Amino acid sequence: MSARQPLYPFTALVGQDAMRLALILNAIDPKIGGVLIRGEKGTAKSTAVRALARLLPELEVVADCPYSCPPSGDGLCDACRRRLASGPLPVVRRRMRVVELPINASEDRVVGTIDLEAAIQSGARRFEPGVLAEANRQILYVDEVNLLDDHLVDVLLDAAAMGVNLVEREGISAWHPARFILVGTMNPEEGELRPQLLDRFGLCVDVAGIRDVAERVEIVSRREQFEADPAAFCDAYAEREAGEAERIERAIAHLGRVSVDRSVLELIAQLGIQLEVDGHRADLVARRAVQAVAALRGLPRAGVAEVVAVAPMVLAHRVRSGPGQRPRDVVATVHQLAGGD
Amino acid sequence: MTASGAGGPDFGGLPFAALVGQEPMRMALLLCAVNPGLGGVLIRGERGTAKSTAVRALARLLPPIEAVAGCPYRCHPAEGPCCPDCGRLRAAGGTPPVARVAPRVVELPVGASLDRVVGSIDFEGAVRSGVRRYQPGVLAAAHRQVLYVDEVNLLDDSVVDVLLDAAVTGVNIVEREGVSVVHPAQFTLVGTMNPEEGELRPQLLDRFGLCVDVRGLRDLALRVAVIECAAGPGPAPAEAGALARADRRLAETIVSARALLPRIAISPQLMARACGLAAAEGVSGHRADLLLVKAARTWRALETATRGGVGGDPTSVTSHDLAQVAELVLVHRRRLPEGGAAATHPGTQAERSTARREPGDPTGAPAADPRAQDEVAGAGAPAGDQAEATAAGTGSQGVGAAAAGEGAGDTPEDLVPDPLFRVRRLQLPRERRTRRAPGRRTPVPSGNRRGRYVRAVTVEHPQDLALDATLRAAAPHQRSRRAAAAAEGASGRLLLRPQDLREKVRQRRIGHCIVFVVDASASMDAEQRMEATKGAVLALLQDAYVRRDRVALVVFSGRTARVVLRPTGSVDLAERQLAGLGVGGTTPLTHGLLTALHLVQTERRRDPGVLPLLVLITDGRGNISCFGDEPLVEAQRAALQIQREGIRSVVIDSTRNHRSLSSPGVAAPSPLFAGYTFNACADLAERLGARHYGLYDLSEESILGTVNQALRP
Repeated sequence: MSARQPLYPFTALVGQDAMRLALILNAIDPKIGGVLIRGEKGTAKSTAVRALARLLPELEVVADCPYSCPPSGDGLCDACRRRLASGPLPVVRRRMRVVELPINASEDRVVGTIDLEAAIQSGARRFEPGVLAEANRQILYVDEVNLLDDHLVDVLLDAAAMGVNLVEREGISAWHPARFILVGTMNPEEGELRPQLLDRFGLCVDVAGIRDVAERVEIVSRREQFEADPAAFCDAYAEREAGEAERIERAIAHLGRVSVDRSVLELIAQLGIQLEVDGHRADLVARRAVQAVAALRGLPRAGVAEVVAVAPMVLAHRVRSGPGQRPRDVVATVHQLAGGD
Repeated sequence: MTASGAGGPDFGGLPFAALVGQEPMRMALLLCAVNPGLGGVLIRGERGTAKSTAVRALARLLPPIEAVAGCPYRCHPAEGPCCPDCGRLRAAGGTPPVARVAPRVVELPVGASLDRVVGSIDFEGAVRSGVRRYQPGVLAAAHRQVLYVDEVNLLDDSVVDVLLDAAVTGVNIVEREGVSVVHPAQFTLVGTMNPEEGELRPQLLDRFGLCVDVRGLRDLALRVAVIECAAGPGPAPAEAGALARADRRLAETIVSARALLPRIAISPQLMARACGLAAAEGVSGHRADLLLVKAARTWRALETATRGGVGGDPTSVTSHDLAQVAELVLVHRRRLPEGGAAATHPGTQAERSTARREPGDPTGAPAADPRAQDEVAGAGAPAGDQAEATAAGTGSQGVGAAAAGEGAGDTPEDLVPDPLFRVRRLQLPRERRTRRAPGRRTPVPSGNRRGRYVRAVTVEHPQDLALDATLRAAAPHQRSRRAAAAAEGASGRLLLRPQDLREKVRQRRIGHCIVFVVDASASMDAEQRMEATKGAVLALLQDAYVRRDRVALVVFSGRTARVVLRPTGSVDLAERQLAGLGVGGTTPLTHGLLTALHLVQTERRRDPGVLPLLVLITDGRGNISCFGDEPLVEAQRAALQIQREGIRSVVIDSTRNHRSLSSPGVAAPSPLFAGYTFNACADLAERLGARHYGLYDLSEESILGTVNQALRP
């Protein structure tokens, strides 16, 4: 349809349930804080992330705002805030996008820089938004995130933590909202990620190549079909795609109504204590993830089963392995604690 | 919603009153809000402990300030330092119009460039009107406000220098790009950091009047409370309303505490006790004494404002007050005796027991206790070193400030290296020359446009154009050039000349990557070899930190080699990993070498510019085969491969005394391996193309020298 090559449908992916669930949970509640996908090459990491975009619901955005501000409420950029005071803002509906941050990106392109044209033409000091601006309310995707330059990691961290991109450089002083779903993929063989950045990812899943021969065959044959005739392949999956999109939309609508009992919160907190994770982010993420899973399953309240479903994703990257000790087994601890419940 | 002031970013966030636990942190922030003279607070702690949340929430509690209307620096109408304009007005005896300014927490992002921090020429104005005017930077915006630096330990050195300078002098002196301005910059500095990401420079650490270490809560009920509160207020609007009211009450308390503060007195006895406390804790300099008194008075003011003073004189400081604030002032200034962390605790504990005897407020005393426990839990060797470095920093702070002054311009590589870092314990008096030699950070060759843009320089043909600097250079000349161009009928665009062009100078954090490959087999248990090895690695680690090198640790024993530490700049992390290192099992030397090789290859992929150095500490007697060959032969092959990859290495023989070996003809095998004539380490070193030393005759000093020599190209 468009000049761009069609994307492989999300629902045509085989296996990798944890990865798909983690992505969908983030789509349901962006405040979960993104997902890090760790795994060997060729495990559909990037394909899944790109495919996810088409399942996401449409957003209401201010039509001419470079930061895709929401037409009302908080999280507005300075300009929209001022305009809103004098009347309603023009609104369009737009699909959520996957904005890619290439690992060789320069800092000025990421955070934004001085507008070259305006400066040369008229000597005006104007801010030219960068990738972080584009990523506001979208998915920010960093392939090979562990290879990102240290100083870029710093600015990314800063923005992810604040939800705001604050620019004080190259003669420019500007800020804009930068709330994005951070999705990173990495191959651990090529180096680790700094713990501080690791912790910023709400969820983390480890993917491995599928060892089941039948499934492997299925993967190859689907891929073959897709490459032979992408359009026809996508059409064949159109119905499933629509169904999945609807499921996500329903879950989003349902999310606010899902209650999380105190006993579930206690189980979550107990996990954090038992596994000696740093700080409280794991607990907060777990609560949101549990709620999102319950919403996806159409449940009125989240229970132990939901904790079991998300705990590995929440804790995998937050459990330390001290010197000489094996990493603690998240799954076993979950079961042990949940079983005693 | 926003109290952070018009135009400022809206970070949203929780009300201050909604924070759960972390009493010391909240206390420190409130103290700073009441008394800006305390010199700010540094919050250190693991990730995800509401550090930033608390600081941002503080903004909503600060009372508005009175300032000269229209003054870009928000000068005080009558007193204190002021900008040149207000100064002239004051001198003329005029009364400026006064405006109430909303308080702000001004944030300094870690990626900030120097020109925006100190301010620079306003090129827009210069282009339009041809006037050189100063455009204020972040330091100006922070005058009389809270300046918040998240991840303060990641801040660029050049920015740290100007920050220090302003914090010390209270003014920002700008001499750049033809603008010459001095403006007041008195701010309450608030920093947060995760120590695992690297340490803070001692001079900067000392600038923070107070410091708190925060940890995640370990109490189940509190943890659940954190989750509940972060999930937002419940469906009942009453809950949100209650929190907002609590915040307003806190704000009122701060205002009345400020008013009370000048009336708070401290008895000579208590003042003596404060000084005695500082002396007992081995704090150098008198800053701590002064701050103890100030903080205790501020705490009394806050207490009296909160409770109206129960029992005794509400305007005089009690020993309980002093005990409450002592830890905040002393935690980052304490110098530890050689023995380690335990020895310092009696002093603090004595003070705490005084606090308990006092019939003071019953809720206050337990508040200090969890912190005490945390202290004990976290006080291993690393904590000790840290505090020691701090103390050393306090001592030579004068030197540091002078160095900062020198470097305050824009020449980061001329920085005098911190002359005070951890040298005491290692007893390694270092020359500045040696430290400077390999360069703290290896500059990236031009053409490689990676790295953080730090400053701009004039070059003949710039490759990596620094547009901002170019514009600033060109701006003042626009009028004359336009006049000239108009004569030729050209348009009104910006006119650039070759002499305006500036190129970016970029800096990368990564310099060398030192990979320690340490033998942890059973043979390392003999003669405390492992202890000696740990000592050597620690010495190297600390030196590496100062140089901003990165360090990795590979350990081999039993049947495998493990990467215990991925390349990191964090000494803290490395020390912790090292401390828990045990020995036992066989010697899979080949595994160790290959793991290290793989690690270096990975690092190279990540950053082709990295300069790796392999430091192998072993007895050289591999006895586990990796590929089914003779272990010794395999190790030799691995060594050859490492050399072929162009990786420099150093071999440190853990069994031998090198000096006795080096005299030819005298075979002096170590008693343990008498009869073992083949010197495995020497052989390995030869194949690695490395130099080879004995562990025991190398003092820590010479190990450092050795590695530094090897690092030099």
